[in-house]
Amino acid sequence: MSLWRQMTHGLRGLLDRSRRDREIDDELQHYFDATVADYRERGLSSEDALGAARRELGNLHSAREQARTYGWENAARAFLADLHFAGRQLRRNPSFAVAAVLILGIGIGANTAVFTFVNSILLRPLPYPGSDRLAIIYSEQGTSSRAPASMFDLYQMRQRSRVFNQIAGIWVTNRVLPGKGDPEQGKVGVVTSNFLPLFAPRPLLGRFFGPEDDLENAPSTVVLSHEVWVRKFGADPHIIGTSVPLGRGSSIVIGVLPRDFRLILPDDSSVPPNVDFFQSTPIGPWEPNGPAFLHLIGQLSTAGRLPAAQSELASIAAQINQIGDRLKIPNYHLYAFSLQDDDVREIRSTLYMLFGAVAFILLIGCANVANLLMVRSRQRHHETTIRATLGASTLRLVQQILIETLVTVFLGGAVALLLGWAAIKTIAALEPPAFANLGQVGLDLRVLAFTFAIALLISVTVALAPISTVRRLKLAQDLKHSGRSTTRRQSWPPKVLVAVEVALAFVLLVGTGLLVRTFVNVLRVDPGFRAENVFTLRVGVPNNDVLHEVQRALTALPGVQSVSTVSHLPLDDNGNWYDSYWKDDTLLDLQNTTMADMRSVLPGYFDTIGAQLLQGRDFTDSDDAAHQHVAVIDDILARHLWPGESALGKRINASDSPKGPYQFERDWLVVVGVVRHIQCHTLMATVRPQIYVPYPLAPRPSMSMVIRTSGAVPGLAVAVRKQIAALNRNVPVNRLEPLSSVIEHARAETRFISVLAVLLSIVALQLALGGIYGVLSYSVVLRTPEIGIRMALGARQVEVLRLIFAEGLLPVALGIVAGAILSALSMPLLHHFLFGIKPGSPAVYCLCILATFLLSAIAMLVPAWRAVNVDPLNALACE
Amino acid sequence: MTEQNTDVIQGTLDLLILKTLSLEPMHGFGISRRVQQVSRGVFKVNPGSLLTALHRLERAGWLNSEWRNTENARRARFYALTRAGKKQLEIEEAEWNRRASAVSRLLRQEA
Repeated sequence: MSLWRQMTHGLRGLLDRSRRDREIDDELQHYFDATVADYRERGLSSEDALGAARRELGNLHSAREQARTYGWENAARAFLADLHFAGRQLRRNPSFAVAAVLILGIGIGANTAVFTFVNSILLRPLPYPGSDRLAIIYSEQGTSSRAPASMFDLYQMRQRSRVFNQIAGIWVTNRVLPGKGDPEQGKVGVVTSNFLPLFAPRPLLGRFFGPEDDLENAPSTVVLSHEVWVRKFGADPHIIGTSVPLGRGSSIVIGVLPRDFRLILPDDSSVPPNVDFFQSTPIGPWEPNGPAFLHLIGQLSTAGRLPAAQSELASIAAQINQIGDRLKIPNYHLYAFSLQDDDVREIRSTLYMLFGAVAFILLIGCANVANLLMVRSRQRHHETTIRATLGASTLRLVQQILIETLVTVFLGGAVALLLGWAAIKTIAALEPPAFANLGQVGLDLRVLAFTFAIALLISVTVALAPISTVRRLKLAQDLKHSGRSTTRRQSWPPKVLVAVEVALAFVLLVGTGLLVRTFVNVLRVDPGFRAENVFTLRVGVPNNDVLHEVQRALTALPGVQSVSTVSHLPLDDNGNWYDSYWKDDTLLDLQNTTMADMRSVLPGYFDTIGAQLLQGRDFTDSDDAAHQHVAVIDDILARHLWPGESALGKRINASDSPKGPYQFERDWLVVVGVVRHIQCHTLMATVRPQIYVPYPLAPRPSMSMVIRTSGAVPGLAVAVRKQIAALNRNVPVNRLEPLSSVIEHARAETRFISVLAVLLSIVALQLALGGIYGVLSYSVVLRTPEIGIRMALGARQVEVLRLIFAEGLLPVALGIVAGAILSALSMPLLHHFLFGIKPGSPAVYCLCILATFLLSAIAMLVPAWRAVNVDPLNALACE
Repeated sequence: MTEQNTDVIQGTLDLLILKTLSLEPMHGFGISRRVQQVSRGVFKVNPGSLLTALHRLERAGWLNSEWRNTENARRARFYALTRAGKKQLEIEEAEWNRRASAVSRLLRQEA
């Protein structure tokens, strides 16, 4: 009630001020008249009554003022007046307004953009029901960490865990999509029946897998992604329960996933966000030593029990490792991380680095704006002095400065939101690879609040500079100086600001130098193959004969030099096959400790992709299950197992599948060749050594063909498709692309980070140089009379030049020293992003020092030129 | 004229206004005269403070005001206690009595 009255009465007063004032006047007038009347009733004459009333009531003007100033609307009115005044001041000095608003817009905008990513990726929970209870479970086996688990181990964990409600597993592989029409390769997620409910509350249609699908003679069932349902089945609403062709058999569709279903798992899990369809697999204690390929997701019974889960898993791991039929794995551990934390563990440091960089830019921007405000408050010194003389309180003057700053900063904030939004759109359009698996990035209330908060913080901070000048007003003295330029030099704060700006920009410059150098190093990495003129495509093939047919058909194409095939293309990290290996006479305890990437190839693969065969021979067509089982290994593995000797003719124990796809068994293979290591996962790290086995020993349903051409062959993709279709063998084909694109993809992240770093340091440098220019220009203006006198007294231009440069370069030099110290402290944080260069690289530091000095000197040229061209006569006449 | 006028004690003006208006609606001058009369000239109310206080109490919801003609046909702003105002008067009265008796107890003891 009273709040309502406060508002309505106040608003009435605000909107119709004259009426309210009139009412107060009327009321006072009546008060006065009534007092006079009262005195007359007591018998005074009209004149005496008037005098008595005046004496009693005192000054009616001050009473009126007192009554008028009551109410919040008066404070609001003063605020509005200040706002109006601030607007007028900004319009009077548009170059200041534009400069300040733009600088702040860039500074705040960069922060808004980065915060938007931080918010969307680090702060917002994953879009899953009970996402705070989801954990990813890894095993550590021998020397490999973050390893998947076997079905046997998953079964044992489920049997023993109390802390987890559910432990589910997934494994993604390539398969022909269900449905009629041209066969098409896609991704199938083979999951335990409890997997999907962890990632979506309910299906769009039908149901998820359930225990009934795990029964021994349960029919084959699939759950389709929204995309496949629409594309292959025309969004048929009656699809549930129907049987669809799948591979050489058929399967019953039991569910369709929601449109926004995405699997957000860590990058290195080989589980892509969009899987085309799902099938379920039962879990049991059938193969104690079966292959480990399941990525495990656990659901905690209650959030926050991760530490409990951790200790439980430790004891479970110990128990599993004691089970009789299972080979004991040395150094076997299980551990769990929050899924959200694990998803962002790589990108977190990228985002923090970016956040640091944009915070620096904002600080530089603030220093610039503070300097601009200070210069302006000097220019308005006279005006401020007069206002103070006329009775404006310090508080009132400070309030006015604060409001002007607020208006400027918030205009900057508005520009910042626009720029930030544009930056987010641009970055998202670049599709940075590190962000691919993560959620949607967008503006929300939290981002707006963040922007608002930093704008507020900045306003108060930068307003301190001009406010400090108000507090030092000395009225009498200042009025005497009124309107005349003073010859005193600029005080130290602007120079400190310059030094700070240079220091911050220098740090960014060093970081950028290191990152750019890293990118150059990545460009120079020899991946172990030559991607030029190699074209790749993925095919689904039922057997050796069809694969050979495809190979022959493609070899016949014009311009094609050689054609071969591999199960996993290098640097294409979608799906992998790796297992442990050992040589003869390895102790049982050590047999499962080292892993290699396994690759199934046809003869000619090494030649076709330009890999280097160091020793021995390539496979031949007679290397099959019926003959001696053979392998080609890479030089890293050869050096590891047989240092100082030739690996040729030695035996290696690895898994292959001579009985058919995925029917793995342990086998002794004789090494017939050694090939130079091929970078298979990233350009920068050697993850595992490689073992190649001939395709007949390890047939796989999905293979990548590699085609070397003699040069650019236009229309190759179309010709390849036609040629394969002409075989009439129902071979699905997809992902036709040059091999160079996987290299591009592998470089994308480094490229993205270094491009971003370059952009950010350009902005930072520009702001810092602008600051140097501004401070020095103003200093020259202040010192014009001094320079005039010096020149009149015979100083030469060179001396004036030296004067100006000395003044300008001193803070720059200090800034560089401070920046170098800061860099030395902070650059080691970047080590994660660097490749082939040390964080303390002297070359990069020297280059940065040189560049900063040169650019600073360039920024000083214009003010210096003005100083040299001061006309002594004019300068003195101005005085 | 050597009147020993005392400015209204800080914080009691509201109570005096509410009490005065509890008898009948009144305009500003009436309130001022009544306070002066009843206090036998001890309290003197300054018109600026009185008007400000009246407006504040009105905004607080304890008073209503309207422009009416007085008995001698002059337009004046009359203030009247609202229901909330009556309650507030009770609260402030009780509070005043509590304090006053405490102070006077203290004074008696000192003597």
